[in-house]
Amino acid sequence: MYVEFLGVPRQRAGVAEMVVEARTLGQLLEALSSRLPALSEVIAGDRLHPSFAANLNGDEFISDPGTPLRADDCVLILSADAGG
Amino acid sequence: MPFGYHGSYLRIDVTRLRADALRRGRRDGVEHVPLDDATLRQFLGGSGLGVRLLLDEGTADVDPLAPEAPLVFAFSPLVGSPLTTSAKFAVVSKSPLTERINDSLASSGFAVAGKRCGCDALMIVGRAAELSVLVIEHDGGEEQARVRLVPAAAYRGATCQETESGLRAELGTEYRIAAIGPAGEQLVRYATISHDGRHAGRGGSGAVLGAKNIKAIAVRGTRRVEWAHPKELTALSRDLSKRSFGPATAKYRELGTATNLLTFNRFNALPTRNFQSGTFEDAVNLSPEQLTATRSKTRDSCVTCTIGCEHIYSIGPNDGVRVEYESLFALGSLCGISDPDVVLRASRRCDELGLDTISAGGTIAFAMECVERGWLDEPWLRFGGGDALLRAIELIGSRAGIGDVLAGGSRHAAHAIGHDSISIAPQVKGLEIPGYEPRALQTMALGFAVGPRGADHNRSGAYEVDFSDKVDRRNVTLDAVRHAIETEDKAALMDSLIVCKFLRGVFEDFYAEAAVMLRAVTGWDATADELRETAKRIVAAKRRFNLLAGWTPAEDTLPERFLNTPLPDDPTASLSHDRLNQLVAEYHRQRKCEA
Repeated sequence: MYVEFLGVPRQRAGVAEMVVEARTLGQLLEALSSRLPALSEVIAGDRLHPSFAANLNGDEFISDPGTPLRADDCVLILSADAGG
Repeated sequence: MPFGYHGSYLRIDVTRLRADALRRGRRDGVEHVPLDDATLRQFLGGSGLGVRLLLDEGTADVDPLAPEAPLVFAFSPLVGSPLTTSAKFAVVSKSPLTERINDSLASSGFAVAGKRCGCDALMIVGRAAELSVLVIEHDGGEEQARVRLVPAAAYRGATCQETESGLRAELGTEYRIAAIGPAGEQLVRYATISHDGRHAGRGGSGAVLGAKNIKAIAVRGTRRVEWAHPKELTALSRDLSKRSFGPATAKYRELGTATNLLTFNRFNALPTRNFQSGTFEDAVNLSPEQLTATRSKTRDSCVTCTIGCEHIYSIGPNDGVRVEYESLFALGSLCGISDPDVVLRASRRCDELGLDTISAGGTIAFAMECVERGWLDEPWLRFGGGDALLRAIELIGSRAGIGDVLAGGSRHAAHAIGHDSISIAPQVKGLEIPGYEPRALQTMALGFAVGPRGADHNRSGAYEVDFSDKVDRRNVTLDAVRHAIETEDKAALMDSLIVCKFLRGVFEDFYAEAAVMLRAVTGWDATADELRETAKRIVAAKRRFNLLAGWTPAEDTLPERFLNTPLPDDPTASLSHDRLNQLVAEYHRQRKCEA
């Protein structure tokens, strides 16, 4: 699936998007953490730090590590306080 | 009197205040009005205290530009403390743009110096005989502050920055200055009051000051308040500062609010071409990531702030512009402008003239669509026209040509233009909508509709709910109402204590931590539950003011565009009359239950 980084997560990741294989949100975050150590501030284990959020396909925001993901999904990782 | 306060406010009638009053030993026009403990505990400071003082004046029904209309600068118990981001003040009045309550916040040294004049708030009424500077100062050993008017003819037409730097050179660098620009003098109904490059921006408080013939207020003081528990306060301040360096504020430190641009664009929530779209094809041009790649940048922060959210981008040698998301959206995507140089120059010019960038951009974008539809005969004023944007800003600042109509805001302009253009005027209660597409962010849509000062992202943080798993942002249910109320209450308390909202992610339990801070400052045995009630009391006071000013429930809505047209680039983002009406009715029901 595609992962898109926005804002600070993009700064940390150093890329705007990447492809990752995972069946759940938790697996995805662990994979990202492993591949991109610079995301250590963003990801804690199989969850996001409370200051960051994950969104599925631009639709619903997801936080449960067990949330199932499909191969054609796009997960967006962004700062939780989107306003300003 | 509790710790953290002086226990009084200065009520200054500039009609009666004479330039030579001090020399003659007279204090005509100046009153030190006591503030009792109960009032301070119930309304705290900032927005809350300001609204309470306005209600006490009993002038909710007067013309906001009339001499008798009060303008309040309210400090807070936390001002002057070492708590990070606490150097803030609220400017509170009836808005000339909305005819409803207006509370705008700004930051930095003016708050600290103003409170050191020995008062918890300044209230200005009357109208000076000539354009003047109001000087308020307090030296050690003096019983009360000295207040005088200084002729300001030399500053007529000067920008906010020219006025501030000129007055500090003239009076002394120890003075802190809040000034209006040419827009405030011209009574543009969304003119700002500027201090140190920041603005009490929304709702036209600059026009209220301009109507009083006051170009600037200069404050200098030495009277400090005592803290109830200084050691505890120092420890709290250190802890809060330390936490303010963490991930919860990384966004503000590293990219600033401008980072919203690409995020909102991705979610079809970036208002574009007067809300005709939620995505802008050239958004990346205006993004902080791109700006940083193409020009140098410096950072700055308010007095006492450890976050440092100000990102200043160069537009020439030794010349930079502070960039915020709201300015980029309003002067960029909303007007269809993709050239970052134009947007930065437009933002800079608004700052110089003393114009709210959101209302300026919103009103100009509205006019551009009216031209596009053939409702307004100003063919030069087209979406995407950089020169047109800059020209329109100049015309508004001087009230020349079409600028005179646009100086009243989009609602006023719509009434002048006709053709049912009010249905596309991007405003609620007259206040232009900030950069959050209501159809894509429907909890925010409710927050806009019911906001006491109109469509506003600083008094309702309902967008936070939309960017969470609490709601389906494009199809919210009545459950969203309590979330919207929670964010409105929280904002009311933050604006009254006062602490910066950019800290909101730092607090695990804001009310509990706020009670601890307030206890250390004032000595009150405040609790989280008490502060929740305080927040609701402050929101209720704002609504009470509006009721006295003529508010009716019909005002709590959105422009027709948002209620009869799905978002073109995301048809699932649709908000019907019925849905909004249900949300608003539930909001009123829940607020009534609280009363």
